Amino acid sequence: MKKILMFVAVLIFWTGQCIAADLIVFSGAGLMKPMEEMRQNFESNHNVEIDVHYGSSGEIFAQVASGQPCDILIPGAEKYTQDALKNGWVIEETIRPLVRHIPVIAVPKGNPAGIKSLDDLARSGVRVAIGDPKAPAIGRVSKQILIKNELWENVTSNISVYAPTVNQLLIYVALGQVDAAMIWGDLVTWAEGKGKLDVIHIAENRNIINNIPTAVCTTAPHMDLATQFNDYVSSPEGLAIWEKWGFERWRP
Amino acid sequence: MAALKKKVAPERLNFFKAGLIFISFIVTAALVMAIAALFMVPDVKDVWESLQSEEMIFSLKLSLWTGLLSTALVMVFALPIGYSLSRFQFTGKGFVKTIIDLPVAFPELVLGLCLLLLFGNTFVGKFFSALGLNFIFTTQGIVAAQFFTALPYACRIMKSTFDYINPRMEFVSRSLGYSMFETFMNVSVPLARNGILASTVIAFARCIGTFGTVLILAGGTYMKTEVLPITLYLNISYGNMGMALTSGIVLMVVSFAAIFVFEQTEVSL
Repeated sequence: MKKILMFVAVLIFWTGQCIAADLIVFSGAGLMKPMEEMRQNFESNHNVEIDVHYGSSGEIFAQVASGQPCDILIPGAEKYTQDALKNGWVIEETIRPLVRHIPVIAVPKGNPAGIKSLDDLARSGVRVAIGDPKAPAIGRVSKQILIKNELWENVTSNISVYAPTVNQLLIYVALGQVDAAMIWGDLVTWAEGKGKLDVIHIAENRNIINNIPTAVCTTAPHMDLATQFNDYVSSPEGLAIWEKWGFERWRP
Repeated sequence: MAALKKKVAPERLNFFKAGLIFISFIVTAALVMAIAALFMVPDVKDVWESLQSEEMIFSLKLSLWTGLLSTALVMVFALPIGYSLSRFQFTGKGFVKTIIDLPVAFPELVLGLCLLLLFGNTFVGKFFSALGLNFIFTTQGIVAAQFFTALPYACRIMKSTFDYINPRMEFVSRSLGYSMFETFMNVSVPLARNGILASTVIAFARCIGTFGTVLILAGGTYMKTEVLPITLYLNISYGNMGMALTSGIVLMVVSFAAIFVFEQTEVSL
C-alpha cells in the first residue's frame, strides 16, 4: 500500500514537473532547429527549464490571442509580430529583427519537371504544393509572391495541395508527390532534406523576403528571464546559431 | 451482537472500495467538465452561424459521404476477417491478427506516412492509378485513410462477436446439409446482428474522427479534402475559434451517438 501511494505521489510530482517551465516560448515550426539549440544552451547556462511550443505562425498567433501564457513570441514572419503589437500583446522596445526568411522553390532530386524559375510553376501539368495561405507564414508569403509576379491565376490550377503545415510540404517534395513546392530556404538546408531535394532560388527582385523577429509579450509570466532570452537569441552568439542552420542575418 | 458489529464494520470502513470509486468519479468529473467546456465556451449564435458557413457545409457533406463509404467498405472486410480469426485455425493466423491490430496502437500520422509511401511511387500506387484510383491529395485518399484507421476496430468487435456465438448452431445447420457459405449467411450473420451494428457505429465514428492519416495522405486542403477534424485544425490555425469549436461539437455529438448505440448493443470490445 505504501509503495503504491509513493508511486502515485511520484507520478503526480513528475507530471507537475513537466508542466512547470521557467520560460514559455511560442515559435514558428520552421525555426525548430536553431530554437532547440538555443534552448539547450540557455537552459544549461541559466539552469532553467524552457518550454518551447512550436506551431504554424497562425496557430501560435491564435494561441496568444486566446490568452495562453506566453513569454516570447517568435513567429515565421514579421507580420504576426506587427499584428500582435497593434493588439498590445508584445512590448515594442523588445522587438528585434533576427534573420532573413527567404522563400525558395524546392523540387525533388533531379528536378523531374525541369523547374527553373517561378514562371515554370504556371506551366500546365506541373504539380505544385504551397502552404495554406491562411495557416503557415510561408503559405501567405507564397501567395503574395505569386500575385506580385502575376502568376497566381495560372498557378492555382496546378496546385494539388494546400498544406496546413510546412513539414507536409517537405515530405511531399522529398517523396516526389509534387514537382515543386514553395518553402523557406532554411528548411531545405536541414540535414533531413539534404540529398532528397534540390533548391531553385527565386530572383531577389521577384521574391518577398521577411524578417523573423523576436519579442517579449506584455503579459509575460516570467518577465526577467524572458528579457534575457530575448537578448540571447538576438546576441552575436545567438545569431551565429541561426546562421549555422542556414538562416541569413537580417539586413534591411 | 458484538459479533454482528464486527462483521458490519469492515463493510462500512472499506477504504479500498471507496478509494477506487472515488478515483473513477474524479476522472469522470474531469472529463465531464472538459466536454462541458466545449459546449459552454462558444455562444450559440456563433455556432449557428458557423454551421451555416460554406466551409462547414462542405466539410459536413464530405465527412458524411466519405464516412459512410469507408464504413461500408470496412464492414465488407471486417465481417470475413473477424469470422476467420474467430472460427478457423490456419497458418499465419497470429501474424494476420497482429498486423491487423497494429494500427490501433500506432499513431495516425505514422499510418498516414506509410500509406503515402505505399500509394506514392511503388507498384501498388501504379496499379491503383491504372484502375483510375489516385489516393494522394484526393477524396479517394480520405476514404483510404479512414478505411485503414477504422478497420482494426471493426475487426476486433466482429471477432469477439463471433467468439461469443456458440458454434453449435453452425454445426446443426451444417449437419442439416447447408454449405459453409449458406450457414454463414443464414445462421452466423443473423446471430451476429448486434455485433455488426456495434461494429458499424464504432467504425463510422472512427472514420469521421480520423485526422492524422487524412492530413498526410489527402493533404488537408481547405475546401478540397477538408473533413471535420481538418476543419477543426485549420480553423485553429486561422484563429477562427467559432468554426473550430463548432466542428468540435459536431464531432462530439457523433461520438456520443455512436457510443450510445454501442452501449445498447451490449457487445464487448
